[in-house]
Amino acid sequence: MSGLSADAQVAIEAIEAGPQGPSVGAFFDLDGTLVAGYTAATFYGDRLKGREVSPAEFLRTVVTAVDGELGGDPTRIAHVAFSAMRGESEEAFADLGERLFRSKIAGTIRRESRALVLAHQRARHTVAVASAATKYQIAPVARDLGVEHLICTRLVVEDGQFTGATHGPMLWGRHKASGVRAFAREHGVDLAESYAYGNGYEDVAFLSSVGHPTALNPHRDLRAAAARLGWPVLDLSDPVGGSLVAAGRTAAALAAMNSGVVSGLAYGLLRRDAREGRNLAVKLATSLPMALAGVTMDVQNRERLWTHRPAIFVANHQSSLDIPVLGALLERDFTIVAKKEARWDPRAIVGSVVIDPAYIDRSDSASARATLAGVVERIRAGTSLMIFPEGTRSATPVLGPFRKGAFHLAAQAGVPVVPVVLRNTGELMRRSSLVLNPGVVDVCVLEPETDWNEDDMSERIAALHTKFEETLAKWPVQ
Amino acid sequence: MNAREDFERWGSAAALAAAPELTPMETLLWRAERHPVQSSTTTVIIDLDRAPDWKRLVAAAEWGTGLVRRLRQRVVEPVVPTAAPTWADDPTFDLGYHLRRERVSSREEMLAQAAQIALRPFDRSRPLWEGVLFEGVGEGAAYVLKIHHALADPLGTVQLLSMLQSGKRSHTARKPVADDDVAAPADADPVDLAVSGLRTGLATLPEVALATARTLGHAATRPQAVVASTLHYAASVRRLLTQAAPPSPELTPRTGRMWSFLTLDAPLEPLRTVARQGGGTLDDAAVALVLGGLRRYHARRGSTLPEIPVGVRVSLDRADDLGNRFKGALISGPLAIEDPVDRVAAVRGEVLSLHTERALEVLDAAAPALNRLPSFVGASALRTAAVPDAFVLTLPGPPRRRYMAGAEVQGMYVLGPLPGAALTVCLVTVGDTACIGVNVDASAVADMADLAACLAEGVDEMVSAAPSSSDQSPVGPM
Repeated sequence: MSGLSADAQVAIEAIEAGPQGPSVGAFFDLDGTLVAGYTAATFYGDRLKGREVSPAEFLRTVVTAVDGELGGDPTRIAHVAFSAMRGESEEAFADLGERLFRSKIAGTIRRESRALVLAHQRARHTVAVASAATKYQIAPVARDLGVEHLICTRLVVEDGQFTGATHGPMLWGRHKASGVRAFAREHGVDLAESYAYGNGYEDVAFLSSVGHPTALNPHRDLRAAAARLGWPVLDLSDPVGGSLVAAGRTAAALAAMNSGVVSGLAYGLLRRDAREGRNLAVKLATSLPMALAGVTMDVQNRERLWTHRPAIFVANHQSSLDIPVLGALLERDFTIVAKKEARWDPRAIVGSVVIDPAYIDRSDSASARATLAGVVERIRAGTSLMIFPEGTRSATPVLGPFRKGAFHLAAQAGVPVVPVVLRNTGELMRRSSLVLNPGVVDVCVLEPETDWNEDDMSERIAALHTKFEETLAKWPVQ
Repeated sequence: MNAREDFERWGSAAALAAAPELTPMETLLWRAERHPVQSSTTTVIIDLDRAPDWKRLVAAAEWGTGLVRRLRQRVVEPVVPTAAPTWADDPTFDLGYHLRRERVSSREEMLAQAAQIALRPFDRSRPLWEGVLFEGVGEGAAYVLKIHHALADPLGTVQLLSMLQSGKRSHTARKPVADDDVAAPADADPVDLAVSGLRTGLATLPEVALATARTLGHAATRPQAVVASTLHYAASVRRLLTQAAPPSPELTPRTGRMWSFLTLDAPLEPLRTVARQGGGTLDDAAVALVLGGLRRYHARRGSTLPEIPVGVRVSLDRADDLGNRFKGALISGPLAIEDPVDRVAAVRGEVLSLHTERALEVLDAAAPALNRLPSFVGASALRTAAVPDAFVLTLPGPPRRRYMAGAEVQGMYVLGPLPGAALTVCLVTVGDTACIGVNVDASAVADMADLAACLAEGVDEMVSAAPSSSDQSPVGPM
């Protein structure tokens, strides 16, 4: 299990069992569906704090909002807001969107919604965010989720400034539904096979456009309608305490990583044993932050991590979380190979002090070869090596091709390769995401492979790649 | 085979409409009736392939009214509205008053005559139906039945007629007759009714008072919840009454005093196919068909209205079941969508969105209270409901060929009343055909011939939007 509720798990299994490919659409509402709460409220709160709102505008907004609640036209509030933005710079507003995303909204993304998005991406569905919000609210969230398409309200911009008008209607209620239908026509999406997720009472028309609607954490009137219409209802847990706590946990985890490193190294200095100090630092720097962020591991075949040392550990790479996870798995006596540029990356600097990586200058093959010769020596001396053979974090959960470097090293040093498959680190901390979500990381250690040589290397790498893919597609049951 | 089906059907016809009292809603309609502007009269036109033998038709009516007792009963009102009106046998029932025949020279003339018959008010002291056989309609004939809503709503009327018709052309000798034991109450006395109603009212008064006190006590302990739920309910009422589109200026001024009947035919299978393509039901396709016709009419008159208010029937049970609890409600019918399939999808979204409205049953909830008040109060309550430009209703008719006194039924058209609308459209499924009856307020339509042509084009457009049967993979009996 990966920490998902049973209902979410069932929904994901249904997606996996259903038709695959881009002709199937998956449409996600933003506010209340992908994220808990309203992004517009975050934006408005920021305007209020910045005293950009005159008392008259504030009063007008409140009156319109209350009227919308009491059966008036609920889209009028948005138009009040849009017209108040007349003359503002689009660029500045887009920057504000990025800033608010980092400080507030990123932490409100529901983990299980993310897992649903991911399940649709795995099935190669055409995934889109369909929302009445503007792209300044949606785009950072969509980018974080790796969603390419936005179906949203578009504001008119002239000379880099908002005019206060919108292109066409606000995509709310029936207009969101017709926006989704038009998108489907343009992109060859079969709506009868498609999925939609929404939470508001106004989302009925949107949801009814597809063959597989789901009322996700629905508003009570939508809940009643879903019961009458026989639509599935999915209640997902909200991020614990919202953005503040998630961000706080991440910050605490980072602090713990640093203090873990410092105390470990200090211990090493005191005991005059750099190697033991390094090992302790790794242990503290990986297990402390993971515990604080609420991340635990579920490891299959853990004994294989110890039976063949020294070895070259190869793993798939989806997330910044992979490094602390592998650090916690390998515990001691290992290092990594990193590109030279990474040496000065402030995020990696802590790790680089700890595990003393071998830096390779990719632009200079002679020096690279020399470095690698040094690495081979270190391996033979008992230090294991951890390598991501995909070279870089993959943007989607799809496994990238394996480079040969790791396997050449295994042949030269005469050590085995231990394959480690990480399933859902990308769900807990997505590529380019700044927030680490609590959860359980699924790890599976495959059978170690020995006796590498140059002759059949390509075939063996291809076979290993297939094993990774198979393990990811069908996770072994313990 | 046919004979056995006939007997089963006739048996259930006898059990039809057995409740002795009018329901609160029927009572409201009955007391608030202001014919023809606020009328409860439904007219059914049945096209027959030949003129049936008059004596046989009279005999059949004699048998049918004996089987379904309600056709020989009248509504008895208490002298003061302390009780619901009651059905009682009419001791002066005379079939000759209710059934007659006339001669016309064309179908148009028959339609015009039928509209005149429908416009004349009922004698409310007699059984609430009237049948006229028109001979001279081309080669065939037409049977026109006018029936009051208190006796049967349009759905009940179609069911009743389908039940009474025969599955074969020849005469059935020993047809079932009503059990004398279940014969309804003999004539009721208005004063007795009022007194017994008052007595029941007084007897239950302590209970009612107690229940009221309990409700008030409940409200006093949880004021916030009560206020919130009241506000939500009020908001829902307001949305239902105000949020549909404003009425079309092309369909005014309406008097409700000049009815004009049109009939249209469409093959049922293509309509069902288009409905499926748009993710909707036949009801949605019927609304989309009418909107397609009205779209053309508006375009020809240079109007570019995006939407018009349309009255539809919403099932209060699961949306796809043919439940028997229905409520009328208003949607904004899209007038700007050219593609019939997309129009069906849009209509579907609008109709399903009504399921989020908790006030859908507001008139039902209010009916018992309104019925205690003078009838003009109820009449104005009914009038406060927002008025659509068109009502659209779908009714299931007989699935197979039927006969009336030896003449084959070729079409069955339901012409509903015009309570404030410019058009009332009823689609009845008869075998493999959709029989569409349109009642038009002649004072509201500038060019009646053009409207008829546009509606006919609306039918063609829907039918040709379905892929023709030769395009589909051949599936047939091998």
